[in-house]
This record gives sequence, structure tokens and C-alpha cells, in this order.
Amino acid sequence: MPFAQLVTSGIELAMNQLLKLDDDSQQGLKKLSGKSLQVSIKELPWPLLFTFSEQIDVRTVITSDQDLEPTSLSVDCLIELNLETLPKLRDSSQLTQLIQQKQLNLIGDIYVAQTFSALLKDLDIDWEEQLSGYTGDVVAHQTFSSMRALFDTAKTQIEQGAIELGERLTQSDSIAVKPSEMFEFSRGVSELRGATERLSARVALIEQKKKVDTGSNN
Amino acid sequence: MSAPETPETTTQHEQTTHFGFKQVESSQKVNMVKEVFQSVAAKYDIMNDLMSLGVHRLWKRYTIDCSGVRAGHKVLDLAGGTGDLTAKFSRIVGESGQVVLADINDAMLKVGRDKLRDKGIVGNVEYVQANAEALPFPDNSFDIITIAFGLRNVTDKDKALASMYRVLKPGGRLLVLEFSKPSNEMLNKAYDMYSFHLLPKIGQLVANDAASYQYLAESIRMHPEQEVLKAMMETAGFEQTTFKNLTGGIVALHRGFKF
Repeated sequence: MPFAQLVTSGIELAMNQLLKLDDDSQQGLKKLSGKSLQVSIKELPWPLLFTFSEQIDVRTVITSDQDLEPTSLSVDCLIELNLETLPKLRDSSQLTQLIQQKQLNLIGDIYVAQTFSALLKDLDIDWEEQLSGYTGDVVAHQTFSSMRALFDTAKTQIEQGAIELGERLTQSDSIAVKPSEMFEFSRGVSELRGATERLSARVALIEQKKKVDTGSNN
Repeated sequence: MSAPETPETTTQHEQTTHFGFKQVESSQKVNMVKEVFQSVAAKYDIMNDLMSLGVHRLWKRYTIDCSGVRAGHKVLDLAGGTGDLTAKFSRIVGESGQVVLADINDAMLKVGRDKLRDKGIVGNVEYVQANAEALPFPDNSFDIITIAFGLRNVTDKDKALASMYRVLKPGGRLLVLEFSKPSNEMLNKAYDMYSFHLLPKIGQLVANDAASYQYLAESIRMHPEQEVLKAMMETAGFEQTTFKNLTGGIVALHRGFKF
């Protein structure tokens, strides 16, 4: 089974489905109509070729086939990067910076890369609206309300947990013996030792006195 | 099941040819193939998906990936049937390019045209009913010619390849996607079992037509295997001819250039 074609097929299906869920995406796609973008990700064995029309077509470029000669294609824009840099492409304003930092190699029309990046970043999908198409408004609203409540509760719990943990960490700090406390404790122990010695001396004195009194009576 | 020992195209007498495992008058084959596709046209797409478990879409994608197609190209999708390749080519070549979907069978062409128009694919697609053996186009007209799962149904394949060579521009390429011979003997046996026992039953169940799918299985066995087709393409004038087996050789993609 042609694995690369299975991957591109999946990417193409996912992208076009997501674009269909956002009515405004067609305007962004129109700006790219007729353009092509090749993305070479270093970790992938084959480059991905995006062709833009009323939808996005994703292909591979056959370059390393043993039986078929390499196919060369001319594209409007070619970018080379690694997987780590890929998420940063969502912010089109970072493109120039990434090129300067040599994290991204770009040949051709930067506008194509920027517009594609903006198209993905600006996707705004109303998932509740999408669900209501299948379940009706009430169920969709209740489902999303419950999910939001659940999310809020979880968020609150996490925040509260973090505060409590912080407090406990602070408290454990105050439990630790400070030098002044240690000094006070040592002084107390010395006073107690002095008092004990004095008491012991007095007891010895009383005992001695008692012995003398008992001898004179006899 | 093995195919009878008959030549794959017309015999030395130029009178008879094969139709599946049967020998028929050459002049009859066109109409017999036409009847098969008239019968299956309406269920063609769903049967393709069922028979191949959807893998035919990946084979077609691979063909497009090997085509080197780009904006502005003029493409001939020969035996284009229900327009799977045409749809994608149309979006890639854009307004400055053109795709011609050609098929000998008007029923298939009609299904293809309706399907593509329903998808909004209009403007750069032309529909032509044409016989691959005598293509009705001027010399050096196309950058790319594809024929996917069509060549085995052509009566005179050498004539068809020569016709394709004529209408291809210098520098252009021909891609032939067609069922072929599995390279592994075990796979070959399993494939035979599937083709001759299961396939006609699926055809009966879904398209109410077991005979057409029996013909499909037989015509695949009668189609020239990889090296033979490569030699035929070279004889027609194609250069740098290569092929790639897909899914263990169940299908092969042949590619040749005209210089």
C-alpha cells in the first residue's frame, strides 16, 4: 500500500474538513488560489506539496523511488524546516525571525507561506453549532454547557490545588528552626540547667542539714 | 486460475482477440466492453471502493504524484471513467491549464461529467468520447497522458500506445496505471481466489451483474505483465520507460517519456 499517499490523503481530508467548518476560511483560501507550496520537513522522507484552489490538495513529491526517476516540480514557495519549528509557523509574524535564526529555509514567495500560516491560525470553528446539526440545538447547548462547567470546575480545582500546595510549602518553611529560635532554645536549656543545678545544691544542703539535726538529737 | 494461452492483443490473423478468456471477433470487442461498462457505470465508484477496500484511491494518488503535473499543464485523462483523476488534475492545473476527460463509453462519460459538475469542477475540463486507438487530437497536444485501469480493455493496445505517443508533446509523459501480475506466488494464488470466486459474487450483490466482474477478473489475467507492457511502450517510441509495482504487483504504474 502506498504509505505516503495514505498520509497525504489523511492530511488533505482533515484540512479540508476543518476549512469547511469555518465559513470565513474561503476568503483566506481565495487569496492562495492557483498557488502551490512545498513543505520539506527534515524528519519526513518525502516533501509535502500543497496546491490551493477552492480546496487544498496535498501531494507528495516522488524523489526517492528506486524504480521511477525523480520528479521535479516548480512551486511558488518552498520551505524547509524540522518538526520542532512546525508549530511556530502558525504565527506568520514569526516567519522572518525564524529565517534569520536559520530554523527555516524559504525559497520563493513569502506571501504564500504567510497567507497559509494565517489561514490555519485564523480558523474559527463553532463546534457547538456543528454539533447542533446532528443533535439539535438543545442537546448541543447542554453538552457544551456541561463540558464548559466541567472544564471550569476542573480549572478551579487545579488552581485551588496549586494555591494550597503553595501555602503548604510556605508553612513548612516557617516550621523549620530559625537561628534566633535555636539561640532562644539553647538559652532556655542553659537556664533550666542552672536552675536544676541550684535545686540540686539546695536539696543536697537540706539533706546535709537534716543529717546534722538527726545526729544532735541522738 | 490460469489464463488460456492466447496472445494479449489481436491474433496473427488480425481477426480475433480476447474478451476475458474468450476469443471474439476483433470488431466485436469494442461493443462487448461497452456493454460491460454500460452495465456497471452507475455503481462503478462504489464497486471500486468495495473491490479494493478503497486502495484504488491511493494508487490513483500515486499516479498523480508521479505525473509532475503543475499549473498550466494540459492533461489527457484517457479512459477517465468517473473522473477521479480529472477532479484532482483540474484543481492542480488551474485556470491556465486544461484537462480532457476522454472515454470510449458514453455512459461512463456521462456519470463522470455529472459527478464532476456536482462537485463544482467546471471551466477547465472538457469531455470527449474517444477511442484510444485513434485519438481525435492534433499531434503534440498534451503535457501528460494518464490511462488508469483502461488499457486492458482496449482491443489493439499497440495502436493505442502509438496514438498516445502521437498526441503527447515532446517532453511529456504517459502514465499507465493498470492491474498486473503479483510478484509473490502466494499473493498471486490468494488474488486468484479473490478475483474468480469472491469478486463476481460482490458484483452480483451490489451491481446485480456477476458477468461483468467475471470479465474484469479474466481481463486482468489477459493483460500483459509488467515487463511486456514496458517493452510495448518502448516499441511505441516511449523513452526512459519504467514501472513500479504497487500492493505487491496487483497493480503497476508504468511511466514513459516522449522526447
